Amino acid sequence: MSFLSLSPAMVGLLLAATAATVAILYWLKPPPKRVVVPSTILWNRLLREKKKQTFLDRLRWWISLMLALAIGLSVATALGRPEVGATGDEVRDITVVIDNSATMATLTTDGFTRWEHAVSQARALLQQGSAGSSFLLVDTAGQAPPTEAADRSAALEVLSSLTVALGGDSQFPLLPPSDGELYFISDGVMVDGAPPEAQIVSVFEAADNVGITAFEIRSVPAAPLTYQAFLEVTNASPGPKEVSVRLSGSGSGRLGETMTLQPGESRGRTIDLSSFDRGPVRVALTTDRDAFVADDYAYSFLPVRRRTRVVLVSPGSIYLERLLLLQPRIALEFLTPDQYDRSSGGVAADVFIFDRYAPPAAPAGPALLFLPPDRPWLSPTLEIVDSPSVEGWDTSHEVLQFVSLEDLRVDRAARITPLIDASGADLADILVGNATLPLVVAYENPEKILRVAFALEDSNFPLQPAFPIFVSNALSWMMDEHVALASPPGRVEVPLPGATVADLEGNEVTTWPLADRTVFVAEKPGLYTAQSGSRRLRVAVNLADPERSAVNATGFPPGTAAATSTPPLAAVQPSVWGDELWMLLLTIAVVLIIGEWFTYHRRLTV
Amino acid sequence: MAHTSTLFDDEFMKKLEYLNIVSSRMIPGHLHGEHRAKKKTDSGIEFADYRQYVAGEDTKNVDWRTFMRLDKLILRMFEEDADLPIYIFFDASKSMDHGEPSKYDYARKIAASLTYIGLLNHDRVVLVGYADGISKEMSARKGKTQVWHAFRFLESVRPAGETSMQKAFRNFFSARRRRGLVVVVSDFLDGDGWSKAFDMLRYFRQDLFAVHVYSVDEQHPDMPDEVLLEDSESGTTERIKVTPGLLDAYAEMFEEHCEEVSGYCRKNGYGYVRTDTELPFEDLILRVFRQGRFLG
Repeated sequence: MSFLSLSPAMVGLLLAATAATVAILYWLKPPPKRVVVPSTILWNRLLREKKKQTFLDRLRWWISLMLALAIGLSVATALGRPEVGATGDEVRDITVVIDNSATMATLTTDGFTRWEHAVSQARALLQQGSAGSSFLLVDTAGQAPPTEAADRSAALEVLSSLTVALGGDSQFPLLPPSDGELYFISDGVMVDGAPPEAQIVSVFEAADNVGITAFEIRSVPAAPLTYQAFLEVTNASPGPKEVSVRLSGSGSGRLGETMTLQPGESRGRTIDLSSFDRGPVRVALTTDRDAFVADDYAYSFLPVRRRTRVVLVSPGSIYLERLLLLQPRIALEFLTPDQYDRSSGGVAADVFIFDRYAPPAAPAGPALLFLPPDRPWLSPTLEIVDSPSVEGWDTSHEVLQFVSLEDLRVDRAARITPLIDASGADLADILVGNATLPLVVAYENPEKILRVAFALEDSNFPLQPAFPIFVSNALSWMMDEHVALASPPGRVEVPLPGATVADLEGNEVTTWPLADRTVFVAEKPGLYTAQSGSRRLRVAVNLADPERSAVNATGFPPGTAAATSTPPLAAVQPSVWGDELWMLLLTIAVVLIIGEWFTYHRRLTV
Repeated sequence: MAHTSTLFDDEFMKKLEYLNIVSSRMIPGHLHGEHRAKKKTDSGIEFADYRQYVAGEDTKNVDWRTFMRLDKLILRMFEEDADLPIYIFFDASKSMDHGEPSKYDYARKIAASLTYIGLLNHDRVVLVGYADGISKEMSARKGKTQVWHAFRFLESVRPAGETSMQKAFRNFFSARRRRGLVVVVSDFLDGDGWSKAFDMLRYFRQDLFAVHVYSVDEQHPDMPDEVLLEDSESGTTERIKVTPGLLDAYAEMFEEHCEEVSGYCRKNGYGYVRTDTELPFEDLILRVFRQGRFLG
């Protein structure tokens, strides 16, 4: 036992003084008050009888003295703030950095994970030192960023809140300057950069692992309606491994293959998904004694493979006609504005493309418009600007993905009224140009509209290599059917504002809405669906990372002692009273006082 | 009858009048109380009995009608009240000068009340203040006119000294005294023993009515943890550690003391009332009346 507020000598002195004071007060006989009674006849008779009980009275006196001493000593000891529970008596400054990168989820031979061993080691370190010591627990994934050092219970609380981060960047944290002890508990695989003064506590143990290091579904460029899955499997085990690969999807799509991989070997496979229906696709590995499960499966999404019906309404555009005819996934129908007007809007299509024309009413589907005339359903044109400069473009938007407009020149363009809501917020995304002169805007009203403020004939855009990519992206965007976005586990951002996110089983995931996108945390690999209004986006969260699958690539020297030889310690339940005993002592004192009061008034001790 | 005493003020006098009226209503004919000796004589108003005529006796009470009927000389007997005195002993020891109101004042009021009613009933009343013997004595008085004399006497006696009821009775009754009713108003905290004094009364064949007076704080004292007890009479001191248990035991002891006095009186056919000084004295007097011993 040690004392936090006083030295042991001071506490001893205080206890002695308290005991002496209590004893002196008990022995002291202050001058009694003189009380005149009519007669002492009855008193004398009573006292004569009472004298027979002298021994009992003395015993009671001693009991009362002992009670008073116990109360006084309890209070005096509490003043010294005694504490127990620490293995050491000294006040220490302990900082523990615990690695919670993905490879810490690797199983060890005793059935526990490296993470569980690390937590056990961290807990053991945090139990050291006296209660007056300061403790700081920091992780490598940023779940517990460095703060001020606190007490033991706070550090243990932080420890209990940490989990293995399968995704995200893991790095040795930047710690506040300290002269105390620094411990780094890790397997040495993903995190390095520990300072030399850090004492390494290794939880590394070699393990078998075969993992999926790449998985993606893409359409074949030459045949856009044909999709293939690219799969890469890596053997990170010390020895050769036989792996069973199983690909499953919607409908009757099933594929299986067994392969043998040498240590460190990666093998890629391109798998034709012609037999798969639209929907989620899952690939899973099966192998003996695989210690790292997170990379044994991966997900993606196979989109619809129907040809898109596109209606082009134009007075005549050789660029658009030829480009659209070259698109293999498109079933094109060409109409002049007169023909479209005569149909009274009765033309059915997946996507409409209006060139220098716009129907009186909004079409029944998404539309791409090049320099449309003023119509009630379109924001009006303010003026025609000659030779506008192209100020910039938003490459983060799906329509401009892989599109470069460096050499775009426009002879004349329409300055259109900004599309804003009642609160003044922009309803349209400006993809090309700026707020004063938007050249390409995208919005939903309610169908997706992509409006180009210049005619193709008034620019060199059709001659740019980016033009066919732009049209292809525009059609994909308007069709709203994409392959899934790929993301590692952890924090995921989807470009949908205010979206709800659900996993493959339909369970809703907690989201954090930002201004123009939504953020959620994918703790494990899976296929997540984000939906905002009629827009839907799928996110394939896969580990698929050679670095994370390389569970044996430790940077620790071979001789580093591993702390995995013993099972992890069970979590120690903190005492109700904590490490310090002052509360317990005061409680005892209060209980004794109440007890004495009760027995006094019950005539038990008097 | 102007009177300036603070003890026996106008308020007190009103209460005495009230007691007199109430006592008259409670017991019709109370002038001839039970405590009085009944003597059968040949004179009187109230017929009591017949008896055989003995030669030589006065023939004025011969019942001639009976003689005519039975041919026997029968005398009519009449009952006449004996003039038995009331001896009122009030404790004037130092122990009575205690409490608020003081036991002594309370005892004097009781004594005054009984004296008043006795004098109004034409009883012969003797007042005796006693402590360690007789402190002061008012010789036998009779008649309403003696009331103020009695009150002055009561006011003149001051509490002092220790208590010895035995000495007081011995001194008083060693002179030739007629049998009567002895009223003792006291706290009965007597170092020589109150029972021996009562035995002495039995020896002198006196009737007894004991009025036990005590103060509330005497019955349930409130004291600090450690006190130096001082006897008000002897001045002796005793250092004691006061605990709730001790106070409880004292209360029991006090109750035993009262029960002893009460039990003695009950056993010997004497009257007994006990009271604390917070009870209005007129209520106590009524309780005395209800016992039927003082006035019957």
